[in-house]
Amino acid sequence: MNIKRFFKRSESYVLLIIILFSAFITIINPAFLTLENLFDLLRSSSGTAILAIGVFLVLISGGVDVSCTTIAIVGQYVSVNLMIRAGIDSIWFIFGLSAFIGIVLGAINAVFVSLFKLPTLIVTLGTSSLYHGAMLEFFGTRAVNVGDLPQSVKSFGTFNVLTLPRADGTTYGLSIFFVILVALLIITYFVLKFTMVGRGIYAIGGNLEAAKRAGFNTRKTHFFIYTYAGFLAGIMGVIHLSLIRYSNPNYIVGTELGVIAAVVLGGARISGGTGTLTGTMLGVILITLLEKNLIMIGLSTYWQQFFIGVVLILGVSITYLQAKFQDGGRTIIVKDEE
Amino acid sequence: MKIPFFKFKEPKNKYLFIIMMLTILIMLVMLPDIFLSQVNIRSMASQFPEFGFLALAMMLAMITGGIDLSVVATANFTGVIAALILTKGPEAGMSPILAIVLAIASVIALAIPCGLINGILIAFVGVPPILATLGTQGLFLGLATVITKGLSIANFPNQFLFIGSGYLFGVPFVFILFLIGTIVVALILGRTQQGFSMYMIGSNPTVARYSGVNNSKIIIKTYVITAILAAVSSIIMISRANSMRPGYGSSYLLQAILVVVLGGADPDGGFGNIPGLLMAIVMLQVTQSGLNILAFSPFVRKFIWGFALLLVMTINFTAQQYGDYKRVKKMRQIATTTT
Repeated sequence: MNIKRFFKRSESYVLLIIILFSAFITIINPAFLTLENLFDLLRSSSGTAILAIGVFLVLISGGVDVSCTTIAIVGQYVSVNLMIRAGIDSIWFIFGLSAFIGIVLGAINAVFVSLFKLPTLIVTLGTSSLYHGAMLEFFGTRAVNVGDLPQSVKSFGTFNVLTLPRADGTTYGLSIFFVILVALLIITYFVLKFTMVGRGIYAIGGNLEAAKRAGFNTRKTHFFIYTYAGFLAGIMGVIHLSLIRYSNPNYIVGTELGVIAAVVLGGARISGGTGTLTGTMLGVILITLLEKNLIMIGLSTYWQQFFIGVVLILGVSITYLQAKFQDGGRTIIVKDEE
Repeated sequence: MKIPFFKFKEPKNKYLFIIMMLTILIMLVMLPDIFLSQVNIRSMASQFPEFGFLALAMMLAMITGGIDLSVVATANFTGVIAALILTKGPEAGMSPILAIVLAIASVIALAIPCGLINGILIAFVGVPPILATLGTQGLFLGLATVITKGLSIANFPNQFLFIGSGYLFGVPFVFILFLIGTIVVALILGRTQQGFSMYMIGSNPTVARYSGVNNSKIIIKTYVITAILAAVSSIIMISRANSMRPGYGSSYLLQAILVVVLGGADPDGGFGNIPGLLMAIVMLQVTQSGLNILAFSPFVRKFIWGFALLLVMTINFTAQQYGDYKRVKKMRQIATTTT
């Protein structure tokens, strides 16, 4: 890739920032650049990355999804509770159930977005409040402790596909979470690149009316996007559960800002039609670095939200300034095209 | 052309009025003794202004076709600063009145740069309002958290508490504040060039630009007004609670959007009026108090707000579709009779 093209892509800037930031952390704290820390980062950020794939799909179709985190927690909490009550100790069961819940809730989102043509932000704001309120009221508010957790979930969380020895004889490894993430990334890539539905997502994000006239089934595409995002959220819910070995119905909710920030940083435009999976993953890496490694450079966690805000503002500013200069500042951008 | 000062004849307001009356009627039937008691009326009148101001702010942003997700964060940030002045000032020997004046002045003064950041990002950089305000939400809330380290600040001078819980001629002071705020916003919308241009930009920014409206200036002003309204809300919040903690009032964001949409504003811009908003606020407050008295859990309320938001939007959409269908049918009729 030549240099000029490299600097035209917003992903490149994210990559540069990641490299600079990593170098900065390494200088202050050399413990950062070890394989162990890298594996640890991959393990803890795989869940966010999976959520980000769903948010990314919604974003390139021209919408915003703030309900993904709620769907994840509903999938996780409901399925782990049902699992304990039914006495079924199988990782396949909990994944299947959680993904199914995600698909159903995603389909409800799709009904409002596609059939009633409501603005996606308002729909997902409404449904996230609806789902979370309904779960807390009708299903329960008690957290599930590690003692009550089924064995299969616990052993899944510590399962490594690659194990390496430390100097003192103990071992560390690459978690299975990362393998799931990679598998989902590959599937999503193929769907986006080589299927009619996938091309349709870009098409309706670029221009809904044009996509319709070109023969895309926009309703089917919308249903695919939101059910797939729901499915991913369901998977993420279980991964999060086996990562922290604790299920609190108020966890995950409220982190959607970080996920959306990650996707937008990766260059996906909220007006739809543009964005790449590579960019999204780079965005997730940057946000994870900011979230998890502020302590390593000696800043307290209170700075987290502040830095995410700053990075998000800078990131979107660069993306949109580029767009503005590309068309010579002719377009009048003051209205959000949803 | 002038936009009517008090657009009661807005078509949607007719239905809204009926729904509002129905809500009140249901509450009257379910709680015949308590609902109309002086205590309940007073408590309702002092509860809604803090999110009423946020709703006013949200409506202004929506009229221009934007949205302001940073209102609660702005209120949090300015509120933290005010709380610091109100607690540290008297400790350092400052007279309470001076501290109060200083706190209120600094809240308003801080709100202006907050609004400017939003406005500049949207108008000059060209970032969509959702993203710009999502980013500043993180920024302002982050600042508030950094300043307080996540802890709450409490115990303000007694005189300051009058704003939140005092009565003037038997009427809660916050209610009077809200009335003044509403009149000011109504005047801006209906009697100034700023207001008229805001409706124009919301309906069609390109047309507005070619009609000689300075879009960027109007947008920036809108978000500054929005931030100031959020700051007023923060003063009420901290005065009512007698404490401040970052994250306080985060549920107001959804409620503000709900009320504004319920009140007839269009998220695509160009619509939104004060009477509709007021009726929606009354409706929300009546339901809120009713559910409170009937001892429903906060989760049910969360569920109901989400449900109500979706229901209202769906009804609006269906009504609009039906209207379009009728109009097309009528036009076809005219076409067939004339040919």
